[in-house]
Amino acid sequence: MMDPVIGKRHARWSSYLIAFLITGLIFATAFYASNYFDNQRIADVRNAEDDVSTDILSIETQFDLLSEHSCNDISENTILPSEMTSLGNELSYLESEGSSNQGEITRLKSLYSILEIKDYLLMQQLAAKCNLKPVFILYFYSNKGDCTTACEEQGDALTALSQTYPDLRVYSFDYNLDVGALQTLISIDNMRYDPPALVINGKVYYGYQSVADIEKILPQLKTLETSTSTATSGKK
Amino acid sequence: MTDATIMYVFLFVSLYFEVFMLVSFLERRGQKTVESIMNLEKLPHFAVVVPAYNEENSIGATIESLLQLNYPKDKLDIIVVDDGSRDETYKVAMRYTDDPRVQVYKKENGGKYTAMNFALARTNAEFIGCLDADSTVAPDALRNMVPAFQDPKVAAVTPGVLIKKPETLLQYMQEAEYRLSVFNRFTQAALGAAFITPGAFSMFRVSFVRATGGWRHAHSTEDLEMALRIQDSDYIIGNAPGAVVYTGTPRTFAKLFHQRVRWTYGFLRNALDYKHMFGNPRYGNLGLVILPTAVVSIGIALYFFIRIVYYTLIDIGHIIMRYEIAGFFFHPAFNPFYINTSAMWFLIYASVTIVIALVCTGSFIGTGRAMPPRGTPLFVIFYCFLVPTWLGTAVIRAVFKTGVRWR
Repeated sequence: MMDPVIGKRHARWSSYLIAFLITGLIFATAFYASNYFDNQRIADVRNAEDDVSTDILSIETQFDLLSEHSCNDISENTILPSEMTSLGNELSYLESEGSSNQGEITRLKSLYSILEIKDYLLMQQLAAKCNLKPVFILYFYSNKGDCTTACEEQGDALTALSQTYPDLRVYSFDYNLDVGALQTLISIDNMRYDPPALVINGKVYYGYQSVADIEKILPQLKTLETSTSTATSGKK
Repeated sequence: MTDATIMYVFLFVSLYFEVFMLVSFLERRGQKTVESIMNLEKLPHFAVVVPAYNEENSIGATIESLLQLNYPKDKLDIIVVDDGSRDETYKVAMRYTDDPRVQVYKKENGGKYTAMNFALARTNAEFIGCLDADSTVAPDALRNMVPAFQDPKVAAVTPGVLIKKPETLLQYMQEAEYRLSVFNRFTQAALGAAFITPGAFSMFRVSFVRATGGWRHAHSTEDLEMALRIQDSDYIIGNAPGAVVYTGTPRTFAKLFHQRVRWTYGFLRNALDYKHMFGNPRYGNLGLVILPTAVVSIGIALYFFIRIVYYTLIDIGHIIMRYEIAGFFFHPAFNPFYINTSAMWFLIYASVTIVIALVCTGSFIGTGRAMPPRGTPLFVIFYCFLVPTWLGTAVIRAVFKTGVRWR
């Protein structure tokens, strides 16, 4: 226990200044730490993109050498849909957190979109030549604030579908991203700007599509293994 | 101004105040404390008033603890004022009148301040204070206060208030809160900026109280008004953490809510009555930092609370929406990538860490051991969600001047 204390009325400006400097130091440390972890995450995403990029390049090369390889060798080495989804989720998270490094995030997002398009094209070619039946959905959204609820709902519906059908390939694109390949993809499908929009089997669907709607539009989903059956078979 | 900017400004203000208090305490530690005068010949005459209203269950223990005070019998008056109780309070108190130190009176109910003035008119003691009938004192409590009164400019000395053995979770949380108050009271006294003289065993110089007209209704917070009056009159409020008082705390949220609405309401209304002190350099740290921060912190707490409630509702809305869309709940696996590492969270962690440090310091000041009470984690996590409920209610009532009742 401490002795009694009495203090005469005073105001020590040095105490105010010291407290200000310490508070400033705490703030600076917090921003530094936050920035450090942001950069770590950006580096993680960059590495993941590099990996995907290398994988795609490898598959393309394998594809070019297809005559000398069996389709089995290639299809076993394709990019898993979950890898792309996970990368996309991480990028969305970074974007939504309002990182100070938005320029780098936009660059990574552009690269991700290009990788998605390359994966999409490659899978189409593989499907044609190797008699595979991958199921695709192209999803176009906007995060400019003009599609907040509908795009969120559409994103949730697609996430639910991805969880139910792990082999479903959902490629999501930001309408507003200034990437030539993406704008070409949009123009090929004659799409107007009206997010959310889905391209399923070459046909464009505007507005929110529920899980049931998509299952109806895309009967091929039935051919995919569901997460329940995967989990069950995994247990065996 | 965006929400994020407002949050950072408020976090800066909160952190600045916490750091300022800690710095002030550390600066104070290097200074000399009040020297003890344990010369029995010089011990002054004290009157301890026990204002009581329907306290038949606890008043006996309160009087007994006062009788156990290690203080010369001829220099201590124990004045029990039954403020119109409807129970057996008076009868229980009368059992102690065999002791010459104890005087028991009964009067019509008029509130605590009237009981204090009633006793003030019936004592010739040099110092007077009150002990609420739900509190008890440690034997050396009074003796430990005496040194602080050596300076004639000291008009009041506050004690170290600890709580009686906690039983409910709410009381465990309050135990940590009271340790924080021990720290605040000590440091504010060191800064010459105390603005509350708690009802539990704060002692006052009788000459000052009489000269300034005795206790006032003061929006049902006469202890707070008296402290502001002392500061306004250029007198000093000291703190004696060694003068240990154990006070009862509300067991239920409803009672705690009622008590805290009264305290906050009283603070806001008295702050208006003494608004000339705010931002006024004449009052030193009190006018420049302590009082303005006390008011601003109410606004900050309410803003944080409303923000948390707003975003929690949005999150719940999202979960419901996702359930409706997917037909099942998403079970996200733990991924360190998604741990929130925004600067805002680091600042909140820093603020919480400093609060825990202040609770530990309060424990050290009040008990000699820096170990925080067991309820500290609960206090840190949950108490911040309770506080805004009474702050908000008190602000609304203060705006509409509804008044508050003791019970």
